[in-house]
Amino acid sequence: MGHQISRRTLFRTASGLAVAGALGGSLSACGGGTGAGSTSSKLTMTWWGSDDRHNAYKKALATFQKSNSKIKIEERYSGYDGYFDRFNTNVAGGSAPDLLQMDTALVAQYARKGVLAPIDEYVGKSLDLTGFSKTLLAAGTVDGKLYGVPSGIGVNILTVNVTGLKKLGLELPDREWTWADLKKVAVDVNKKSGGKQFGVDDGGGGTLQAFEVFAREKGQTFFATDGKKLGFTADTLQEWWEFWAEMRKDKASPPAAITSAAHNDLTKNGVVIGKTLFTFDSGVYGAGGAITDAVLDFLPTPKGDWSGAREGNFVNGGVLLSATKASKHIADSVKIMSYFAQDATAIKDMQLLRGIPPTEKARSLIAAGLSDTDKKSMDIADYISKRVAKATDALAAPQPPPNGADQIWDLLFQSNLAIAFGKKSIKAQLTAFFDQAGSILSQ
Amino acid sequence: MTTTETDAVVKEPTAPATPSDQRERERMRRRAARRRGGGWWPYLFLAPWFVGLFGLTIYPMLDSLYLSFTDFDLLSPAKWVGTENYTRMFTDDPVFWDSVHATLLYVVVSVPLKLALALGVAMLLNRDLKGIGLYRAAFYLPSLLGGAVAIAIVWRQVFGGDGLFNDFLGWFGIKGQDWISSPDTAIYTLILLAVWQFGTPMVIFLAGLKQLPKDVYEAAEIDGARPVTRFFRITLPLLTPIVFFNVVLQIIDAFKTFTPAYVVSNGTGGPLNSTMLYSLYLYKKGFTDLQMGYASALAWVLFLVIAGFTAVNFIASRYWVHYDD
Repeated sequence: MGHQISRRTLFRTASGLAVAGALGGSLSACGGGTGAGSTSSKLTMTWWGSDDRHNAYKKALATFQKSNSKIKIEERYSGYDGYFDRFNTNVAGGSAPDLLQMDTALVAQYARKGVLAPIDEYVGKSLDLTGFSKTLLAAGTVDGKLYGVPSGIGVNILTVNVTGLKKLGLELPDREWTWADLKKVAVDVNKKSGGKQFGVDDGGGGTLQAFEVFAREKGQTFFATDGKKLGFTADTLQEWWEFWAEMRKDKASPPAAITSAAHNDLTKNGVVIGKTLFTFDSGVYGAGGAITDAVLDFLPTPKGDWSGAREGNFVNGGVLLSATKASKHIADSVKIMSYFAQDATAIKDMQLLRGIPPTEKARSLIAAGLSDTDKKSMDIADYISKRVAKATDALAAPQPPPNGADQIWDLLFQSNLAIAFGKKSIKAQLTAFFDQAGSILSQ
Repeated sequence: MTTTETDAVVKEPTAPATPSDQRERERMRRRAARRRGGGWWPYLFLAPWFVGLFGLTIYPMLDSLYLSFTDFDLLSPAKWVGTENYTRMFTDDPVFWDSVHATLLYVVVSVPLKLALALGVAMLLNRDLKGIGLYRAAFYLPSLLGGAVAIAIVWRQVFGGDGLFNDFLGWFGIKGQDWISSPDTAIYTLILLAVWQFGTPMVIFLAGLKQLPKDVYEAAEIDGARPVTRFFRITLPLLTPIVFFNVVLQIIDAFKTFTPAYVVSNGTGGPLNSTMLYSLYLYKKGFTDLQMGYASALAWVLFLVIAGFTAVNFIASRYWVHYDD
């Protein structure tokens, strides 16, 4: 489910550090590489998420501690904003948490820099991964070693405001829909709402849910296997941006200002403010908890509508739990990972708050107690993973993304925005994009 | 200790000094000098300050100077790369230039506006009205809140597409836009926020205005000088040292602005890097993109630029600042 950014913008270490840093002061105050780790005998665990997720974690951990009273756990949690900034600072200062919730998008970077502990030696012993599929474990596997246990299945979906669709007299599209179908329904939304609503939020700068799937339908990947280059061609990106330029022109997608306002702010998302009915941002539901009253449903990212289009959807690993290398409590951390992976109480506590549970057993455990929307969410994940498994033309699931990936995703977003604001032509922006992406990946 | 004794010596003679008085004074001065030279323990009291100076300022600065010549990702040891970070900044980093552009615009527009407003309000508040203290406090208040994250969040709401500011424009039949999320206007919302926090220079101006000699004004009034003339011919020239002080301080402050840009843009510096103030970019490079070596280089460039601006200010001040001598 990629980045689930909390709606509460928590602002922690940022201001003091950087303002002093601007004068060269505190920038290096934390120099000197990794230290010995926490001196306390407490195991520190950190995660990001919504209040719902915080409470579920705390409840599950309390149960864990009842039967493992020797393991003392210090819980630290926040929203997504600043979570990894703080983690970086802690690692540099030698006070990294022992166990942390890790982003599938960043796991490779930290594993390769030697921050995370490989946990293969525990698998089958204190770490029970029965029922985890190979594709799922790939989300935590970097250069052949396991650095994190996936919390659940992440799939690329669009979230749909069904209430809004019904009000306009429109039907929920079929799950086997194409980009052309998306365009058609989005244009209809604008027409039937008398121009008050746009169909779908601007996906031109969207990464995991949108462009990556599109590129895979073209038989290309976002990053080349070695992580040193982009895996797609300029033609593919040009076609993609042209599609969205047309969507904006036809009022199927909102103007740039609305897209820009929603950047990093779920509360301004098109579906949340009622301006669009379809969104690529899974945070609108997902682990962020529902922040709109509308009835929601989910659809896979659309299929390619050209001849030779391949299956572009893929299954990802939700979030991960990883241990840090400098930690003195790796064995205990692994125990906790195993607990969250298999224990019935933990699974029931977490429900869908960290994605769709990874094993059949876990899914059947929570099926009974789910809300309608949770059921739909689990159903679509099931549907997509089956479709992907059956597809003969699908590329292998993407590798954990390389260093600088998040900068390139941001560049994609900014590029699309520059085009949408009319500051750059598609051609000019293409050149700039490939130039800058190349320079980011070579650093 | 020693100062009290010397003070006592200075204050002592009220009547004309007799030879014995002079001897007494000489004796005490010598005793004070002995104490001053021989005592090591005052340094003990100063030690925390020295520890702070070397441990928290000088050492980190030198360390960051070293790091600016390395590739340092915070997580693994730094690798020496020579001047690569500096060349990359000027030749291969378009976002760097975006941030320079945003920052210069911010400094050049916000500082004069802020100082003009501060001086204007200080003049208004420089009277003996009933409850004037209350007014002064009220105008100073935004500066107290200024650095706070909460205000920046409020700002985001006020100037958002459905914010208060557009509601206000609506009364006059003007249709607003989303000021925060448009690349053409976003930086001006930050400038407005800076200008609104004019309290600190205002208080300094107020203190300066209180020092101005009343008799000059009286003489001017008798000669028939109008208020505007009095302002440009008397107030402003006499106030130039204060203006200079505020200009220097505010420029330095403006260059270092971080919090509002971070909060208003949700940490992105967007839209299209239009609010990517230099400090924010530096922070992002260091703590988010894990390029602490590069961030250190950015910090040193900022340090040199601020030093440069300040030096130019001091040199230029010779031509327009009038000291009372």
